[in-house]
Amino acid sequence: MTRNPPAAAAQSERLDKELREAPRTVILVGNPNVGKSVLFGALTGKYVTVSNYPGTTVEVTRGSAVLDGSPWNVMDTPGTNGLTPMSEDEQVTRDILLWERDYACLQVCDTKNLRRGLLITAQLAEAGVPMVLALNMADEAASRGFQVDAPRLAAVLGVEVVPTVAVERKGLAQIQAALPGARPAKLSVRYDQAIEEALAVVTPLMRETGGLSTRSLALMILGGDDSLRAHLEATLAPAEREQVEEARRRAASRYPESLRFVISKQRLAVVDRLHDQVVVRGARSAASDLGRKLGSWSTHPILGVPILAGVLFACYEFVGVFGAKVAVDFLENQIFYDRLVPWFEAAVRFLVPWKAAQEFLAGPAGVPFREHGGFLVGRYGLFSMGLSYGMAIVLPIVATFFVTFSLLEDSGYLPRLAVMMNKLFKRMGLNGKAVLPMVLGLGCDTMATMTARIMETRKERVIVTLLLALGVPCSAQLAVVFAMLAGVSAAAAAWFAATIVMVLFLVGWLAAKVIPGRGSDFVLELPPLRVPQLGNVAVKTLARIEWYLREALPLFIAGTLLLYVLDRVGGIAWLEQAAAPVVVGVLDLPRQAASAFILGFLRRDYAAAGLFLHYEPFVKAGTMTRAMEVEVVVALVTITLFIPCIANFFMILKERGWKTSLAILGFILPFSVGVGATVNQLMRWLWL
Amino acid sequence: MPAVVKRMETCPLCGTGFDAEGQGCRPSCPMASGCRVICCPSCHYSFPQESGLAGKLRGLLDRRRAAR
Repeated sequence: MTRNPPAAAAQSERLDKELREAPRTVILVGNPNVGKSVLFGALTGKYVTVSNYPGTTVEVTRGSAVLDGSPWNVMDTPGTNGLTPMSEDEQVTRDILLWERDYACLQVCDTKNLRRGLLITAQLAEAGVPMVLALNMADEAASRGFQVDAPRLAAVLGVEVVPTVAVERKGLAQIQAALPGARPAKLSVRYDQAIEEALAVVTPLMRETGGLSTRSLALMILGGDDSLRAHLEATLAPAEREQVEEARRRAASRYPESLRFVISKQRLAVVDRLHDQVVVRGARSAASDLGRKLGSWSTHPILGVPILAGVLFACYEFVGVFGAKVAVDFLENQIFYDRLVPWFEAAVRFLVPWKAAQEFLAGPAGVPFREHGGFLVGRYGLFSMGLSYGMAIVLPIVATFFVTFSLLEDSGYLPRLAVMMNKLFKRMGLNGKAVLPMVLGLGCDTMATMTARIMETRKERVIVTLLLALGVPCSAQLAVVFAMLAGVSAAAAAWFAATIVMVLFLVGWLAAKVIPGRGSDFVLELPPLRVPQLGNVAVKTLARIEWYLREALPLFIAGTLLLYVLDRVGGIAWLEQAAAPVVVGVLDLPRQAASAFILGFLRRDYAAAGLFLHYEPFVKAGTMTRAMEVEVVVALVTITLFIPCIANFFMILKERGWKTSLAILGFILPFSVGVGATVNQLMRWLWL
Repeated sequence: MPAVVKRMETCPLCGTGFDAEGQGCRPSCPMASGCRVICCPSCHYSFPQESGLAGKLRGLLDRRRAAR
């Protein structure tokens, strides 16, 4: 594919000729979104060719440039976070560096995210690639008070380091002058003895490829890079391959984590030291010794568990107890039902002169709104039910949850939570990378389903989509679940939590067994722990509340409208009757729960809010019986395992297609009821 | 089209700074229209962009910080 216009065919031909004749190549490498393509454009000018890298759908752009009086090929590669690939894009970049010969690498680094860029620099140094480092977006970094001592960095690395502002072509001339003299960086990483011993076995067995050093290839192999399997099979004898595998197994047995993780961690430690040496002021890699220690404890296999439990308990106390009890009680009763609903009803009666219209909108005068079917104020009124669900019951709970989530983000604990959950998810038959969509699912299952794209294989994407739809409650639902659990005993809450974890475990494990394929590692850079800034937390929370109001509230109103119409035509009674064999007969729930279940398809939290309202008087009066607690657990289990919301179902449809979506739906609906029924029987048998 | 405002953002999960343009909700999402959720190009974490009221509060806080 060629992107240049037809009229420029002559220039295109000239470019092809230049590309064929140019003796050397510049390869641009860098993290995603660092300005590589802008720098590529500045180096090459207008005419470029864009073609798919052989055997892939990943595009690689080529152009030409004159450097030091000679023609050069210039290649722009897909953004990458390292030379051990975790996606097809990253593999293309690594393969280009691996198979091209006689090239100079121009690493483009975002100065604001220097640490991430230096992680690639360290790998290029290990690979012995001749390079020049462009510290791009230097102006933005400076404006944020982040300055890098480029001469010092150049002295430590032993390569040219050029601060650039690609969009303004600043630094371009220095890069053009530096590239012909590009040389390998001097930064070397000394790994643990176990890894160095394995490297001593594997490195001599690696064949030179022209692009990357044999030590670099050996590190990729030790890190479990499956994309090099074909290369190994083509270049090593079976006995040599066995030697490599044995060295890898021996080294891996020395660590509880994967070798890829250990190698990345040790490389990052070297990068951190370099980072602290060259960052003049602004964000240093860690705030304090205490921050460093806390950061390390929070991902420790043993110490991390009580920290995780403490964090989850604090979340529960704040969201489940403060948000769901204090805030909901205040907003729902004191603000909504005692003031806003009567005011709104009075306003309707004042503004609408016709009695019939008044009765249609706000019901007969003097009758409590829960006992009539007014359109705006009534049992299923848009104001008295739709808005009160959205604003008085769910909003205070999700707002406290969003505050918690923002605190977790701003403190730097959220990625550590992902690391801790990684270990748990691995036991569920998921690969570590699945942590991200799963954690994101705690925010919104719809966007998390989209994020399942980061999984490498279809198998992984289907498993993640299934588990998200099945058992990961979104923030709004989680908040209402917290609220409901706050009203029952600890034992009942434990029944709920254990059931959901077991179901996720079992379904994930079974799906991983049934669907063939392989997993991969999860490597996430951990920012330092820091004290959250209240201003930041407020802004993040507000942004999420705005998002919630835009997305959820219209569905709440639509759900109420549907209920209103069903109520008017006698549909609710019919639905309750039709669903009674399942809701009452199988799940032992009150008949009224049927409408909550059916509308749960619009949003799970809508259904949960309906149940919350049903049991709230008993919780407040302290008259919840054990049988009621069983009902709450059974209802919550069934609703949690239900499809999250209509938006999520459409997303599954878009992402996975009709067949898989219907298969997921066909599995989830009977499965959720089946698990609910089993929990009901077990609890009544063992607990009542 | 997503209602994402073009400006620099920092990922709350991995700390990557990135240009929000082109990182908005994908059109495959049924609720993408007007959606302010953006996606980190580095770790794919999604979060709502601080625009609207939150953007105004952010501006106010930034101005107060600058004045100090």
